[in-house]
Amino acid sequence: MNLAEQLKEQALTEARRQAAREDGLAALRREGLAALERTDFPGRKTEAWKYTSLRALEDGHLSALAPARELEAPADFGGHRLVFINGRFNEALSQLPDEAGLEVIRLDGSSEAAPGASTEFTTPFAHLNAAALEDGLMLRVAANTAVETPVHVCFVSSADSPATSHTRLHLELGEASSLDLIEHYSGDGPALTNAVTELHAGPASRLRHYRLQSEQTESLHIGSLLLVANRDSRVESYQLMQGSRLRRNDVRAILAESGAELDMRGIFIGRGKSHTDNQVCVEHRVPHCQSHQLYKGLAGDEARLVFNGRIHIHAGARQSSADLTNKNLLLSRGAEVDTKPELEIYNDDVQCSHGTTVGQMDHDALFYLRSRGVDEKTAQRMLGLGFVNELLQALPHEGIAEWARPWLGQSLEQQ
Amino acid sequence: MLQIRDLHASVGGEEILKGLSLEINPGEVHAIMGPNGSGKSTLANVIAGRDNYEITGGDVLFDGKPLADMAPEERARAGIFLAFQYPVEIPGVSNLEFIKAALESLHEARGEKPLDSVTLLRRAREACKQVNLDQGFLKRGVNEGFSGGEKKRNEILQMLLLEPRLALLDETDSGLDIDSLQTVAKGVNSLRSAERSIVLVTHYQRLLDYIVPDHVHVLSNGQIMKSGDKELARELERKGYGWITQQEEASGA
Repeated sequence: MNLAEQLKEQALTEARRQAAREDGLAALRREGLAALERTDFPGRKTEAWKYTSLRALEDGHLSALAPARELEAPADFGGHRLVFINGRFNEALSQLPDEAGLEVIRLDGSSEAAPGASTEFTTPFAHLNAAALEDGLMLRVAANTAVETPVHVCFVSSADSPATSHTRLHLELGEASSLDLIEHYSGDGPALTNAVTELHAGPASRLRHYRLQSEQTESLHIGSLLLVANRDSRVESYQLMQGSRLRRNDVRAILAESGAELDMRGIFIGRGKSHTDNQVCVEHRVPHCQSHQLYKGLAGDEARLVFNGRIHIHAGARQSSADLTNKNLLLSRGAEVDTKPELEIYNDDVQCSHGTTVGQMDHDALFYLRSRGVDEKTAQRMLGLGFVNELLQALPHEGIAEWARPWLGQSLEQQ
Repeated sequence: MLQIRDLHASVGGEEILKGLSLEINPGEVHAIMGPNGSGKSTLANVIAGRDNYEITGGDVLFDGKPLADMAPEERARAGIFLAFQYPVEIPGVSNLEFIKAALESLHEARGEKPLDSVTLLRRAREACKQVNLDQGFLKRGVNEGFSGGEKKRNEILQMLLLEPRLALLDETDSGLDIDSLQTVAKGVNSLRSAERSIVLVTHYQRLLDYIVPDHVHVLSNGQIMKSGDKELARELERKGYGWITQQEEASGA
C-alpha cells in the first residue's frame, strides 16, 4: 500500500467510527463519509500536490485529538470571542455575543440546523472533516444587520502525540448586512488542524475576513476555505500565516452573482524547515464582478513556500475584472519559492492581469542599514517587515496589525 | 583617530587604491579631491566596510584598531558614519523607524539607555528643521521617492542625530542646488568640534567655500598625489586636475 492508500484507509476508519453516531450532525457525517469513499488522497503524481508531500503525517495522525488541558487563550483583539480547544468549544474562555441579528449556532450535534457538506470542496481532508466532525460553529447574520463588534473565533490545537482536530466555521451573511470576522488558528505540538471554513456573503453585504495561522513550527495545518460572494456584495479577506511543518490551504472564492467584489491579500512567512502551500482559485461565474489579489511571501532558512493562484473566468462572465500579484523575497540560499499563476479564461470581454516575482534581499539596502549601526539580523528583519509593510498598513483592523508586526518580526528573527 | 598606511584595495578584483597613506586627527576636516575614477569613493566605502571592497594590503586603523576585522555595524558603533553618494531607497521602512533602530544600537554599544520616544521625536524634528526637510519625511519610507537633494539632506539629518566621531561625506554636494548645498554645509559645520573629524570626498571646490577644510588631498590613480591646505583646492579649480597628473608625468620622466 502506498502512502495515499494508507492515509485513505486511516481516514475511512476514523470516519466510519464517527459516522456511527446519531445526532444533529449525522447527515453531514454521512455525506462526508460517502465523499471520502469516492476520493483518493493525493500522491506524488497529483498536480495540485506537486510540491507538497503528506509524508509529514505520521501513524495515528488522522485520529481525533483528545480534549486538551486548559490552555492559555490566544491573542485578544477585543470584541466577541469564541474559543475552541482541540476542536471543542470552550465556554469558560468564550463570550457568546448578545447582539440583535447575530445568531451563533453550535455544530455539536445538539441542533438540527447543521449545514450540508458543500460540493465545492474537493479534497479528502474537507470530506474527512465533514465525516468526523464533533464540534463546530455556524454564524448567521440577519438581513440589514450591521454587526458592530468583530467576531473572533479562536481554534487552539495542542497535542503531545500526532492527532487531528477538525474545526468547522460557517457564516451566512444576510442581505445588506455586514460583519468583521477573525478566525485565528494557534497551538503547538504535533497536532494537525484540519480546518473547514465556509463563508457566504449575501446580496449587498460586506464581509471583512481575517484568517490568522500562527501555530508553532512543529504543528500541521490543512485548511479549506470557501468564500461565496453574491450580488453586489463586497468581500475582503486577509490571510496571515507563518510556516510550520506542514501548512496547506486550499482557498476557493466564488463570485457567484453580478456586481460582487473580492479583495484578497496574504502574508506568508516561511522559516526553519517549514513548508507552506497556498492554492488559491478565484472563480468568476457571472458577468460584472471584480477580484483583486495581492500576496507576499518571505522565505528564510530552508523554508519552502508554494503558491498557486488560479483565476477562472467562466464563459458567461463578461466584463470581469481580475488581477493577481504574488511577490516573494528569499532570505537565504536554502529557501525555496515555487509560485505559479494560472489563468483559465473562456470569455473575451475581460480584464485580467497577473504577476509573480521571486527576489532576494537588496544588498545595498542591507549595507545601508548596517553602516548606520544596525546589526545584520535586525536589518534583515526590518527589510523583511518593510517588504510586507504595505499589506500590514492596509489592514483595516488596527489591533491585528499591531499584533502581527511583532509576531511576524519574531518569525523573521528565528531565521 | 584614523590612520591609513600604504592601503591597497580592490573592487570586484580590480585594484583601485594603490598604496594610499593618510592620517586624520580629531577635530580635523579633510577634503579628498580628484578626477573620476581616482579612487575617492572607494576609499570612503572601504572605511565604511562595504561588501566587495577588499583590503588587499596595508592598514586602516581607527583608534588603533584595524577596521578590516570589523563588520560595518561595528564600525558605525565605533563612531564612523558614511553619507552615501547614492542613498538607498527602502520602501516599507519608515525614516523614523530606521533612525530609531540605528540610535538604539549605537546607544547599546556605548552602554547607554535608549532614548524615550518623545525625546527621539523631538530631536528628529529639530534635525529636520536644521536640514530644511518637512517633518513628514520622518514618516515616509527611507528615501522613498525623495528627490536627489532631499536624499542628501536626509543623510545629513541622520548624521546630525547619530553624532559620529568620523563623518565621511561621499560626494554629498553632487546634484545639489545652491540652497541645498548651503543647508548641507550648515549642517556639517554645526557638527565641527575638537573631537570630531570630517572627510569630504568631492569633485568640486564649490563645497569647500562653505565647509573650509584644514587639509586638502588630491587623489589620482589610487594614490595621494598632493596635499595642502584650502589654497590647493582653489588652485585645482583654476588649473584643473590635468595640472596634477601632468606634474606626475613630468616628475616620472
